[in-house]
Amino acid sequence: MKTWLIPYVKLHYKGLLLSIFLGLFALFCGSALMFTSGFLISKSALRPENILMVYVPIVGVRTFGISRAVIQYLSRLSSHHTILGILSDMRGKLYRVLELQAAFLHSRLKTGSVLGVLVDDIDHLQDLFIRTILPSIVSLGMYATVVLSLGWFDWTFAILIACYVFLLVILIPIASLAYLRISLKFIKKDRNIQYQELTDSTLGIRDWMVTGRQSELINQSQVKDQIVTRLEAKAKKVKRLRDFISQLVIGAIVISMVYWSSGMVGSDRLSVTMIAAFVLVTISISEAFLPVSDAIEKLPEYSDSIHRLKQLEEHIGEDDNHEYQTLSNNNMLINLKDVFFKYPDSERFVLNGIDLTISQGEKIAILGRSGAGKSSIVQLITGVRGATQGQVEINGYSPQAIGDSLFEKISVLNQRPHLFNTTIYNNIRLANQNAAAEEVYEVARKVGLYDYIMTLPKGFDTHMSESGSIFSGGQQQRIALARTLLKGSSVVILDEPTVGLDPETESALLTTIFTALQDKTLIWITHHLTGVQKMDEVIFLEDGKIVMRGSHQELMKKDARYRGLYYLDVPKSVRKYLSGI
Amino acid sequence: MGRDLLAYKGIMKVLASVLFITLIEVASIILQAKLLSTWLFQLFNGSIFRKTLTIGILFITTFVIRHFVVMIKKKITFHYAQRTSITMKKQLLTKIFELGPKFTNKQGTAKLVTLAMEGTTQVRTYLELLIPKMVAAFVIPAVIFIYVFFQDKLSSIILFLTLPIIVAFMILLGLAANKKMEKQWDDYHLLSNHYLDSLRGMETLKYLGLSKKHGATIDDVSDSYRKSTMGTLRIAFLSSFALDFFTMLSVASVAVGLGLRLINGELLLDVALLILILSPEFFLPIKEVGSDYHATLNGQEAAKAIRTIIEEEEKDELVVSSSKGWNRSSILKLSSVNYAHENDQQSALSSIGFQVKGFERIGIVGASGAGKSTLIDILGGFLQPDQGTFRVHDQILPTLTSNGWRKQVTYLPQHPYLFSDSLAENIRFYNQDATRDMVEKAVVSAGLIEMMKSLPNGLDEEIGNGQRSLSGGQEQRVALARALVSDRPILLLDEPTAHLDIETEYELKEKMLGLFENKLVFFATHRLHWMEQMDRIIVLKDGEIAEMGTLDELMKLKGEYYSLILTQLEGIQ
Repeated sequence: MKTWLIPYVKLHYKGLLLSIFLGLFALFCGSALMFTSGFLISKSALRPENILMVYVPIVGVRTFGISRAVIQYLSRLSSHHTILGILSDMRGKLYRVLELQAAFLHSRLKTGSVLGVLVDDIDHLQDLFIRTILPSIVSLGMYATVVLSLGWFDWTFAILIACYVFLLVILIPIASLAYLRISLKFIKKDRNIQYQELTDSTLGIRDWMVTGRQSELINQSQVKDQIVTRLEAKAKKVKRLRDFISQLVIGAIVISMVYWSSGMVGSDRLSVTMIAAFVLVTISISEAFLPVSDAIEKLPEYSDSIHRLKQLEEHIGEDDNHEYQTLSNNNMLINLKDVFFKYPDSERFVLNGIDLTISQGEKIAILGRSGAGKSSIVQLITGVRGATQGQVEINGYSPQAIGDSLFEKISVLNQRPHLFNTTIYNNIRLANQNAAAEEVYEVARKVGLYDYIMTLPKGFDTHMSESGSIFSGGQQQRIALARTLLKGSSVVILDEPTVGLDPETESALLTTIFTALQDKTLIWITHHLTGVQKMDEVIFLEDGKIVMRGSHQELMKKDARYRGLYYLDVPKSVRKYLSGI
Repeated sequence: MGRDLLAYKGIMKVLASVLFITLIEVASIILQAKLLSTWLFQLFNGSIFRKTLTIGILFITTFVIRHFVVMIKKKITFHYAQRTSITMKKQLLTKIFELGPKFTNKQGTAKLVTLAMEGTTQVRTYLELLIPKMVAAFVIPAVIFIYVFFQDKLSSIILFLTLPIIVAFMILLGLAANKKMEKQWDDYHLLSNHYLDSLRGMETLKYLGLSKKHGATIDDVSDSYRKSTMGTLRIAFLSSFALDFFTMLSVASVAVGLGLRLINGELLLDVALLILILSPEFFLPIKEVGSDYHATLNGQEAAKAIRTIIEEEEKDELVVSSSKGWNRSSILKLSSVNYAHENDQQSALSSIGFQVKGFERIGIVGASGAGKSTLIDILGGFLQPDQGTFRVHDQILPTLTSNGWRKQVTYLPQHPYLFSDSLAENIRFYNQDATRDMVEKAVVSAGLIEMMKSLPNGLDEEIGNGQRSLSGGQEQRVALARALVSDRPILLLDEPTAHLDIETEYELKEKMLGLFENKLVFFATHRLHWMEQMDRIIVLKDGEIAEMGTLDELMKLKGEYYSLILTQLEGIQ
């Protein structure tokens, strides 16, 4: 609320006020049309001598009739204009919030689809403003206007009407919201579970077919449906009753109005022509109060969106404004001294005393099971996170003190290089905006994509979105590699870039990577042994400690466990034949 | 809009009751207006409130009746809509699980699930909104028009003439708006995608050191996004403006016309009031048809999509005699089996033919896209080939897609399906009758004992979505335990270890080998070390069998298999 709504309300208060004013005015014109019409025909029924006697109400009727639609149109434009401005600011803010946590976005938010959800959340806030907040404020404004103008005639009656409208605008909406909120929560929860289960069982459709129990699955889902159905039917029933009761209140208001105005006429405090005018305007205005219940009822739907956006905030550290060190040298010396590391929200140490020195041009592979701490080492070296204990230094500076300029010297190739929705040329050139076209072609040649790209009808100008997926997984990695080459950084971290590729593609890609990055420092996170013999050092992590280290040849000689793992990939029969070649 | 309504089951009955209620509604609308105008007329003429009380009570009674029948109408349509959507959902799910993975792959899991969950809800909303609205739009204005016609011809003509003007303007504006909106829509789409694209690629931008700078671009693009949206809205709102404008103008003209004729004494006040009260009621149902336009459109689309699936044709299922299970002397022979792919996800196969006997272990290898998974799907009875025959025992069959065959099969994919229930129930998935003892034994044999001990509730711990997430290795062990308690004679493995780290694979392999005893095994994988334990190997290339034989034979042949080994070793040696 504090970070996602209030600042924007303050910033755009003029637009919001204008929208509220226009909304009120449109409502006013609609009611005024009925009021003047009622007055006009009553006055005419008195058969005035001259038509000029009813000239003013005639003009009024026409004016209000026309302006109601015009102002309504203006009010909608104005409110959308303001809200879209707010949303535009919010998008910028969401980007900046996420940018601060860019490097661990994936581990926190898991999938790209969550990002889509966040974008939708902002769109939901648009509905919150347009469908709930503004109409509610306009209704409240109308409420005040009605009570004040009646008060001008008769304060006691104004208070009575204030009580009626209080029921319509405040009590009934809030009571029904309080009641519905609980059942809506259950409905939502049940539906989410169903959603998840249905996705899982559709993905596991082969398993279900094998069991031959598909009909059981469908019956289960029917049973769950019935629970939700019952809840939904109950919620609907409450809404129908609520609407009916609101109508009864309107009926009461109309009757009171008839009673009051005829009384006023009887005591000569009101002209007889006013009875019809007052009653007609009552009918028209009361209906404007009805939608408040529906508007308020939507609140729980938005609370999730706001909650998700708020959660994002909690994870940002303070924005860093301090001076950054710049690395002038191209010789990178990476040094980890007795490093311990645990994630802020966990007790378990992921790294337990790591000592590691990597000088320029060295190539090391880091292996280990998932959760052994491989990725944490990458996060420490890139300054995405700081060590809990011990020191991480690049040329004597802490990576966190170097800031984003660190990425001019260090490149990261991970499992999911993103190809932006622009041309192939722009996608590669992103890495170095000063690169000449020839340099872009050159790196494309080095990663073995040039010929393929030239076979595309538009060559390098092919748009990523044009043919679904132009590039296979291996080729996407090659584009990322081309970016790295174009950037010319001296350290390249490979964070399992070959996961999900088949062995043939993998070995071809690795060959390209190793050839293209000959003179660079390589830190390669991997989960199997393919290619490790090209490394200077192989490191095995287990429970945050280094349990095996050495070159492939050394480990083959001295470490039985390493040999066992290696022989899994190169079994006896293959070795037999290989020695024969 | 609305013509497709007639295709729903039981719609006529609902339409009839809604029509009946709407007639009561319009009758009470008119009566209520009549009573109110009479009441006001009497008061206007100087009657005291107390003396007009009867008419006031009558008025409020009709008022209550009107809103009460509206409530009943809503109830009837809601329940009908809900029933219909639930039936649709059931039909849809039944169909999806009949059609199998070929269909889910083609359509996409996410799309089907969204259709079953959101789509059916949209259909419900659609029916719930549309039925009463359509009936009201036809009945209420017509009845009011006829009534007003007999009260005051001129007013009724003004009201009546407004309708074609509104419709004409809506069409004109609609055409103009559509043209403009199509153009705007492209911009809008481009810009909205740019934002999401930037968010998705933020990690990449960060590693390129560009993420901070890109913030400014986001602001610019966001701003043009706003401008382009406003451009679209300016036009989109015009149609509701026109509707508003002409109804208000029409009401105003009626009022002025009434006023003038009152002055001339051609009319009495009660009739004038009656008409003035009725004229907004005349337009109200027409206005409401236009509201919630998107909700109705979505519902219509969803209903269409669901119908297409439900009406999807299914080839006849042939039952394999399940009395005779697979045993040591059973024979399966595939002859010229073909499968042409309709989509990118399933690779094609052509003229596949081979024979297996008893408890053989068959490895299936080949490059990505060679058709390994398609072959496993056909052997598991998940997919129906386009051509070819299968000989099982002495029966010649065109396909293996039957429950009798599937019931003999255990399937271990890359990501086994775990549903949200206890660990024990997940292990019993194939064999509901497995005793606790069997499950415990399987847990030990699958190497799950450590993990089970670490769970607070042991075997009864809830696993699966959102509960307790298991690592890839643990998932495979659960699937392994599942296979152990089911003890089915045929075992299909589709790349079960490709995503695991080498140590986990090493441990899992030891456990898995025990499962291969006394079973017909088909093992599709890239990880060639498994081939050591296979009796024969099928090498697929571009959907055809390139080679088939024992490991020794293939190595000596120095053909496709040999070159696969060499390519993979390039990374190693």
